[in-house]
Amino acid sequence: MADQSENGIGDLRITRRSFIKGCTMAAAALGLSETMIPRLVSAATSPQRPPVVWLHFQECTGCTESLLRASHPDIGRLILDLISLDYHETVMAAAGYQAEENLKNTIEKYDGKYICVVEGAIPTKDGGVYCKIGGRTAMDILAEVAPRSAAVIAIGSCASFGGLQAAAPNPTGAVGVRDLVRGKPIINIPGCPPNPISFLGTVLHYLTWKKLPVTDNLGRPLFAYGRKIHDHCERRAHFDEGRFVEQFGDEGHRQGYCLYKVGCKGPATFSNCPAVRFNDVDQWPVSAGHGCCGCTEPGFWDSMTPFEQRLPEVEVPLGKGTVTSAESVGRTVMGITAGAIGIHAAAGVVRRLAKGTAKKDEIREE
Amino acid sequence: MSYEFEKYRAFGPLYRITHWVFAISCVILLFTGYYIYEPWFTTMLEKGVDDFTVANMRFFHFAAGYCFMGAVIARFYLWFFGNRQERITDALPVTKRNIKNFWGAILNYLYVKFHVPRLGHNALAGTTYLVTFLLSMVMIASGFYLLYPESVQVQAWGGAVFGSQQNARFVHFILMFYYIFFAMVHIYIAIWNDVMFGEGLVSAIISGSKFLHIKRPRVD
Ligand code: HEM
Ligand code: SF4
Repeated sequence: MADQSENGIGDLRITRRSFIKGCTMAAAALGLSETMIPRLVSAATSPQRPPVVWLHFQECTGCTESLLRASHPDIGRLILDLISLDYHETVMAAAGYQAEENLKNTIEKYDGKYICVVEGAIPTKDGGVYCKIGGRTAMDILAEVAPRSAAVIAIGSCASFGGLQAAAPNPTGAVGVRDLVRGKPIINIPGCPPNPISFLGTVLHYLTWKKLPVTDNLGRPLFAYGRKIHDHCERRAHFDEGRFVEQFGDEGHRQGYCLYKVGCKGPATFSNCPAVRFNDVDQWPVSAGHGCCGCTEPGFWDSMTPFEQRLPEVEVPLGKGTVTSAESVGRTVMGITAGAIGIHAAAGVVRRLAKGTAKKDEIREE
Repeated sequence: MSYEFEKYRAFGPLYRITHWVFAISCVILLFTGYYIYEPWFTTMLEKGVDDFTVANMRFFHFAAGYCFMGAVIARFYLWFFGNRQERITDALPVTKRNIKNFWGAILNYLYVKFHVPRLGHNALAGTTYLVTFLLSMVMIASGFYLLYPESVQVQAWGGAVFGSQQNARFVHFILMFYYIFFAMVHIYIAIWNDVMFGEGLVSAIISGSKFLHIKRPRVD
């Protein structure tokens, strides 16, 4: 890495050069012209930029990890530098009472001005007892912090839609922020994890124009989630031509053909992954050879699984929880129908043979 | 003994046109739709020819989808402004006449009761067509939601109805089997009726005329 010093410990300062580089990447993701970059830079360095309270609930910290461990160090540091992070359980130095004190102070001091970032789903069943921090439930903390913020950013699919925790049968009643917080601007940055650039772009947009970017019907910013993966995937030419991977490891797979037939969810998933890619190594799942898992979509653990099949399976009513592919259910129904038609026709023939030509018996006036 | 039939006008031209637009677009939609689900023949061998197989299949699917929607709109009009045989009042099993006819048709199909001639469809068929019509609206809604995923307006109602693209795909795919089921049963019953009762039911959807017997046949 460029700015790693000789003893192997990363230099934690961020140079102006890499700072501007980061802003430029975010501007590119936002689809802004380069002439806007100075505005982003000045907003990002403004001393009046709002503090951020980062709440962790039911989650794996993967979203934070992906921000901090971006191989391109600029992004992670830029984010930490950019937003004045007053409360973040993973990276703050304070602990215990001191940490909770920080949270309280920020809320008091910046009432209505701070940004509340939420990572993780919020369990609601049984009074929300399944996630507690400092003796308080996630529901309580969110109900206290979110209404007094200026805006809420839900980072990751858990905070956006409930994520893995909300997968059927959702034992803890996990929900996303939007289901609990009303009357505040909320933006969703789903993904498992989301691309750090999408988060950075959203924050910079907010700092520069004092409002959240335009979103789709699910609260996702259009600059990052405005287009389906399938519509700007590098394998799309193979899709249109009908060249598919039939099995992992086959000749088509080696040739880099389209992953549709091995369960790619790109046609049903909105995200900028093929354009922005991850960790500055120019990779994303499809370029690595596995189909998209659809992680930015609501309920993806239920509707996008099995990950190697295109459509979810259905539960067969008679089989006590047996699942099978929707197609085999359809085939069974078609088979039964064909059988029924055959029996019906045969019954008519047998009947007529038994009765002779009894056509006149068939009709009666109304 | 021989039968005496009289020719009656049963179905208007618009009705017959919608029927055949439905039939043809459904065959195309089923074929291309199944191909989109599982592209079973492909250009794997890289013939060096740009034949754009999947892209073309999708194009024919969308083109047929638009024709299908046109037919559904025309049928919607006919439910209310068509002739007596085409109207919703002849299909819905809510009036006494229709309820009686509904059960009569089921028993007739089970070889239990006599066939009762009726100029329009029997109420069982009418009800089935109404259900098919409603499912076609779901098919069109999910189809258009899949076709214009980036449109803000389509997202607003499509998202509200289906939740996500993936759910819409699933609904769209599952309902395909209803259309296969319907096509099988529909064609069988139509031919069966023609064979059994000689009313010219199959040709009625081409010519518009049906033959109803005028004399009660003698029962020995
Ligand atoms: C009888 C009616 C129809 C049938 C049986 C049918 C069947 C199908 C099937 C099986 C698929 C594949 C789904 C999947 O595996 O993901 C599909 C996809 C699709 N259908 Fe239909 N469909 C019908 C009507 C329509 C209509 C009216 C439209 C509207 C234009 C439409 C638009 C689409 C679109 C946009 C796709 C997705 C194609 C893609 O993105 O690759 N369909 N259809
Ligand atoms: S790999 Fe997936 S996203 Fe890419 S073209 Fe194929 S189906 Fe679409």
